[in-house]
Amino acid sequence: MSGKRVIVFGGDAAGVAAALQQAEAGMQVTLVEPSPSLGGECLPQTRIIDGDSPFLQPDLEALRSHPNIEVITNAQVVKTKSANGKYSFQIRRSTPRVDMEKCNDCKECIRVCPIHMYDDFNEGVGFRTAIDYFNPETAKSGEYNIFKEDMPICQATCPANLNIRSYAALIADGKYAESLAVIRQRLPFALSIGRVCPHPCEDACNRGYVDEPIAICGLKRFVADYEMHNDIDPPVEVPEQFHPEKVAIIGGGPAGLSCAFFLAKAGYKSVVFEAMPEPGGMFRYGIPEYRLPTETLMREINWILAHGVELRCDTRIGKDISFDELQRDYAAVFIGVGAWTGMTLRIPGEDMEGVIDGVRFLRDANMGKKIDMEGRVIIIGGGNVAMDAARVSWREGFDEVHVVYRRTRKEMPASPWEIDAAEDEGVNFQFLVAPVEVIGKKGRMTGLKCLKMELGEPDASGRRRPVPIEGSEFVIEAENLIAAIGQRPDIKFVPDATELEITRWNTFAVDQETFQTNVPGIFSAGDVETGPDIAIRACANGRKAAFGIVRHIEAKRREAA
Amino acid sequence: MCTGRVDPTMIAEAFINDADGVMVVGCHFGDCHYITGNVQGQIKVGLAERVLTYVGLSPKRVSFDQCSSAEGERFVKLVTDFNQGVRELGPLGNGDGLPAPELKEKLSIAKTILAKEKLRWVVGKFTVFVTEGNKYGEVFTDHEMWRTLDTIVMDEVATHQIMRELGQEAVAVKDLAARLKLPAPDVLRYVLALQRRELVDLDGVEGNSPRYKAVGPTAQVA
Repeated sequence: MSGKRVIVFGGDAAGVAAALQQAEAGMQVTLVEPSPSLGGECLPQTRIIDGDSPFLQPDLEALRSHPNIEVITNAQVVKTKSANGKYSFQIRRSTPRVDMEKCNDCKECIRVCPIHMYDDFNEGVGFRTAIDYFNPETAKSGEYNIFKEDMPICQATCPANLNIRSYAALIADGKYAESLAVIRQRLPFALSIGRVCPHPCEDACNRGYVDEPIAICGLKRFVADYEMHNDIDPPVEVPEQFHPEKVAIIGGGPAGLSCAFFLAKAGYKSVVFEAMPEPGGMFRYGIPEYRLPTETLMREINWILAHGVELRCDTRIGKDISFDELQRDYAAVFIGVGAWTGMTLRIPGEDMEGVIDGVRFLRDANMGKKIDMEGRVIIIGGGNVAMDAARVSWREGFDEVHVVYRRTRKEMPASPWEIDAAEDEGVNFQFLVAPVEVIGKKGRMTGLKCLKMELGEPDASGRRRPVPIEGSEFVIEAENLIAAIGQRPDIKFVPDATELEITRWNTFAVDQETFQTNVPGIFSAGDVETGPDIAIRACANGRKAAFGIVRHIEAKRREAA
Repeated sequence: MCTGRVDPTMIAEAFINDADGVMVVGCHFGDCHYITGNVQGQIKVGLAERVLTYVGLSPKRVSFDQCSSAEGERFVKLVTDFNQGVRELGPLGNGDGLPAPELKEKLSIAKTILAKEKLRWVVGKFTVFVTEGNKYGEVFTDHEMWRTLDTIVMDEVATHQIMRELGQEAVAVKDLAARLKLPAPDVLRYVLALQRRELVDLDGVEGNSPRYKAVGPTAQVA
């Protein structure tokens, strides 16, 4: 025997033949098959020669009795690695739900199984039951399994993996309090997320193939609103005794407050340090009032704080309290400061008066500050921040609002309903236009020189790359410019001596399971870890970080004992 | 008799024996001598109602109500109202989805499937699934359990009608679908599922259509 090992993927007739051939040649063969039994799928009706069996009958006896062949069914390769001409594979085997040693192939389970599903062995032509064999020809060897699907597609798509199936069904039953309790097992912000979420779950919803997807986000808003409008006090359930360790949470936004909420549920007190005068982070200062009213948000935040979470507003780390102090005084530090620094356009004239970045504009508008701008405004960008900025500036009373985007409407990352709403309200859209230079007089902006574009080949993000058309420069006259082309986290408050690993997007590198940074005891989630992303992901990761923190503190306690 | 003891087949049986309405009145929830007997009763009567309504009975002919022995007035009102409702409909076959002779035949199918293990086992697990959850810890809602039961009812009625037809003679799927007024692709799926369970087999090919026939001891029973 040469001692060489060969792996064969797929246990259909060809796979079995290949495995046998390799084994005969003296190799150690491993055969990996994703379905529970060997033999491949049934032949399609059109390929059956008259009188022939639709089932391929590979030489399974020889395969099983061969000493050099190892068969792994119901398994899939999840990772491959090659180094020095050798390959290594990570194989995940699904749970076998039938004990093969005890099964005596009486077929009684198939007769009584009440759940039917399409027979994927036979191209879905017939029904089979949930407990069944895959290939009737090989089933004689007793390859039964219970086919159980993974979590529903909506739940799998949701970053927080909300149990949508349950809470939607409970609403259908009229059990609103129970439904809300199901949501709150994984998400404290039912009211706010129900209003602002771009709901990726609905895009994935299977009902969309029939007519339109289930209005999952609307349902969530409905139960949360039902509670609010009926003045029902949401239940506050915390352990009777809290642990002595305290956690410092920097940033009172979606990530920080979710983390604090789940820490409280696990019996850990936390202190939230918020730089702004009010908590809520991007919920409060990034999302305009018409999408998420402050009163509604505060109701939810007050409920979270009622779980024994301490809040210190107007406290900026590095100015009012040092980072080292937090590290010294608290058992763990969570950083969820978000991404608040707008990206610069990198075009000449950007430092002129009248040019502002989108996040700052929205923050000022949300703080109720007098917007010291008038006339016409140009918004650059195609994301939701750009749409918010456009709709807010329309409300602030600018004479004309232009949105300039370098691709077309189809490529805009903003939610389509936001684009439609902005258009309805009277915002002008100029597609396939890129800014070249801010022009002005005496340091005051008077217009924006632009260049027309056309779409070329798709780039790394899958969207078609805009290519400038030579000599197509033109000027849009306006007194103000809002650049909403993306944000970056501002993490200057962390002292260099902490040696936190920072990615090239200015975010923290964390372990994706515990959300711990490279420094033990410092955790991070939210936009400061992912870069600008949707609110529900921040909430989801804040929750995961809370469990990471609990594990970290418990491990330290065990060490000390 | 405890409402929990009311078997779904008893309700079907009553209609087969010319009853025009069946009313089940039990204790209030929480008052049960056997703790959860009335909960089981509600589910069992609910199942019978679903199956019978699916085959064509008017839902007004079955009712589950609750009333304690001290609520004489309430009992009178419940009975009077129910009686009034049934009287308005008239004898079986009036106000129902089908005329009397066809309805009777369908009712006997309903009785058969209510006596079969598939529905009974799911009903037995009903309260467990909505309170403690299944082996994987997934707790279901009433709504979802009923929805699951609804699909099983549809499957069972179709399957048993098919078995009844195929038990008498070999039929092609196309003709079978016409007889049962069901879409042919669905009938084919049910027939193939039955073939997989070794209850139906290919009898021969007539022209281009394969004809199927029931086989085995269950052919007569179904």
